[in-house]
Amino acid sequence: MIGDVRAALAIARKDIRNLSRYRIAVASMAFTPLYQFVIPAFLFGAAFAVNGRATGLTATLGTDDLTGFIFLGGVVAGIVSTAFWGMAMSIRNEMDMGTLEPSWLTPTSHEMFVIGRAIGGMLFLILTQAALFLFGILFMGLRLRPEMLLALPAVLLALLSMVGIAYLLAGIVLLIREANFFIDTANFLFVTISGVSFPVTLLPGVLQPIALALPTTYAVDILRVQALGARPLFGVGIEYGLLVAGTAIAYPLGRWAFARAERTMRRRGMLSQY
Amino acid sequence: MTAPAVETKDLVKVFERGRRTIWQRLRREPDRRERFSAVDGIDLRVETGEIFGLLGPNGAGKTTTMKMLATLLIPTSGSIRVLGIDPLERPRDVRARLGAMLSGERSLYWKLTARENLEYFAALYHVSPNQTRARIERALAAVNLSDRADDYVERYSTGMRQRLALARALLPDPPLVILDEPTVGLDPQASRDLRDRVRELRAQGRTVLLTTHYMEEADQLCDRVAIIDHGRIVALDTPAALKRTIRAEEVVHLELGIDGDDRTVLEHLGRMATVARSERTNGTLAVTAHCASARDFVPAAFDAARSAGATIRHVEVVPVTLEDVFLSLTGRALRE
Amino acid sequence: MTLLVADLRAFVAAVRKELRQVRRYPTLLLSILFWPVLLPTAWVLMGRAYSGNDPQALEAFAQRAGSPQVAGFVFVGYAMYMWLSTLLWGPGTALRTEQVRGSLEAVFLTPASRLVPLFGPGAANILPASLNFVVMGVALWLLFGFVPTFQATLWTLVIIVLGVPAMYAIGALFAASVLRFGEVGPVVQLVRGIFVLACGITFPVAMLPGWAQVSAWLLPPTYIVEDIRRVLLQGAGPADVTEHVILVLAMAVITAAAAAMVFRALETSARRTGMLSRF
Repeated sequence: MIGDVRAALAIARKDIRNLSRYRIAVASMAFTPLYQFVIPAFLFGAAFAVNGRATGLTATLGTDDLTGFIFLGGVVAGIVSTAFWGMAMSIRNEMDMGTLEPSWLTPTSHEMFVIGRAIGGMLFLILTQAALFLFGILFMGLRLRPEMLLALPAVLLALLSMVGIAYLLAGIVLLIREANFFIDTANFLFVTISGVSFPVTLLPGVLQPIALALPTTYAVDILRVQALGARPLFGVGIEYGLLVAGTAIAYPLGRWAFARAERTMRRRGMLSQY
Repeated sequence: MTAPAVETKDLVKVFERGRRTIWQRLRREPDRRERFSAVDGIDLRVETGEIFGLLGPNGAGKTTTMKMLATLLIPTSGSIRVLGIDPLERPRDVRARLGAMLSGERSLYWKLTARENLEYFAALYHVSPNQTRARIERALAAVNLSDRADDYVERYSTGMRQRLALARALLPDPPLVILDEPTVGLDPQASRDLRDRVRELRAQGRTVLLTTHYMEEADQLCDRVAIIDHGRIVALDTPAALKRTIRAEEVVHLELGIDGDDRTVLEHLGRMATVARSERTNGTLAVTAHCASARDFVPAAFDAARSAGATIRHVEVVPVTLEDVFLSLTGRALRE
Repeated sequence: MTLLVADLRAFVAAVRKELRQVRRYPTLLLSILFWPVLLPTAWVLMGRAYSGNDPQALEAFAQRAGSPQVAGFVFVGYAMYMWLSTLLWGPGTALRTEQVRGSLEAVFLTPASRLVPLFGPGAANILPASLNFVVMGVALWLLFGFVPTFQATLWTLVIIVLGVPAMYAIGALFAASVLRFGEVGPVVQLVRGIFVLACGITFPVAMLPGWAQVSAWLLPPTYIVEDIRRVLLQGAGPADVTEHVILVLAMAVITAAAAAMVFRALETSARRTGMLSRF
């Protein structure tokens, strides 16, 4: 057990070490959310402003804090894509590179390869989010309220549920051929349906039940309610309950799927196929 | 007698070729995937402290066997014991005692240094932190990489990367080391170097199981060799004993110029030696013959050729190798 | 004359090779159907969140964007984003792959013009790019009920066709420059990011600070997007956009010349140092 924990930490350290040697890639990873989402979304939102106030957003959500709305959504988007890319897809990348096989030859429990990446991914996420928030505070008038900290348990729960989902995803991407396309599309849908860029109430009817089944939906909502005073979907208490329930389902389900995928691979012998 | 390091009984691995789409599954269409046995009933017993080689052409089932021993593949049927442990029941216990080098240089992190690579894998092998340093130094020294330990792996040559992969396999201080084609892609110097390292492993009391399709490698390195073809073991013994099985002291390669039918000349030659292989390309007939004495056979072969209207253009006498053993057992050359 | 014919044939061969690759990766086709619908739809819904159906907010947007049609505005912007994306990814990756594999050297050994590997891969993207436009048009109609007049569609097509040289010149300039960096992916992200921020893809250029607006109007895509929005959403006619179209064509010539120059410089330096396959 202690050996496994140490192994998980070694995986996290190796990931960060390895990443730090691809500087252009890291720079582009930090820049991408800015150009792809934060700045365009802010300027798009500002195009609807009346006399410098986001009156439209107030009508939708009960808050006119456009910057806060975008950045807090970004936090959950960051957690989700860390799970999709950092925890799940990076295992697939190792398989394609040929480094997964020797790792699986060690006595370390294979689950640790997800957990270790989760630790490394979180450290990286904290760094990139801190950089983003700094940018927001300096250039976009982002204001942080201390009440925001009340939403911290929601963020942590969302994180835990995403580790569960990462197990499931890792199981999938190790088996399928077009893993990149799958992760890319599924990540976008997951983020969007969780209500990161607009409230889930605006989703088409068929997608709303899916949104309400995702733990991240409640994390986004609680975060905005606590930090911006936005109108909640159901009420913070109920949403916490749903978030805990979602996590309690996602985690064991993910582990089960991962174990199954691993067995399939050992039966079919796909570990070093590339 | 001590327990064997590796023991397999009637080991079988069947793979399916092709894919069964979700659509086909939903419609419950019959499964039309082709099945083939990569390993087809292998019985192995590798004794503690020996270097044991699996020799065979590409696709013979060597790697599949190794992967089953290393817990990466689940056998279709049969039983395995690695160091007395069943890898199906206790895969992690097997992995903790096994040093494996399966897919050489690609299996390293190129943007990390050799030492960083080993630090990482030491943690995965559950080497305790106070032992890690010493273990890494020892592994690096064992493969002669101590002076380049802090270079990025991307700056290494193929041979150095292969040696680093071997160093990694030594991290858990394993009593059993398995190596899949350890010298493939290496230049002669680097291959020799790696073979020396393997011999040192035996000297340290470890058991080594390796696969190769180089007969010289199996001959020089292994205490015992299993010749494997189409997923089955066709012969198993010491290299010397294997070579004795073909009942010949020498091998003669002949190249004959012939216009008409080659049956007569082959018949004549066959009376004096065993014709292991003959291949006709236009007007040239290549023959490999196993004989007791080339000194007696070669002059007689000249006479036989003349009487059949053929001329001998080239003669080469070589000692018996494992290649000839493989040839006599399967009728094919190792590299075909 | 014969040389021109031979070059043309080499060019067609390069295009065919690219198309074949597209066909072998089915998900590429799937992404041509997915992303052009999903991405802009998400932004239209974001627009709904920001407007809150508040007439004042919608009016404010109409003033800044030139039209109250949020869905149309976003879809036109995203069509340009998709086009740019394929143009930056396609030729850049193609040229880089050829360089790494050593086949660029092989092309240089043939008598074909140096412009073939530079502009060939871009031309192969014409088909996927047009498919993109069609998919987005259909999505705009089915999801948001937006149907442009026949005339507006026609003028849009004219603007796109006249914009082609400028867009492909950007792709070629990028591809030639990217050979220096080695890694294509991160550079594409960076360059595409600049275009997204500058060219009014998802928000009106009027929202940018003054200095950024000046630089935005130095980039051809800014004009193309603006003109398409004018004819499609504001009912403008050809006379209203002629000036812009001429400007874009002039920019195309300059950019293409720059691309050829960068590529030539690269080839010369490679021939001098003997390092064509690795920079």
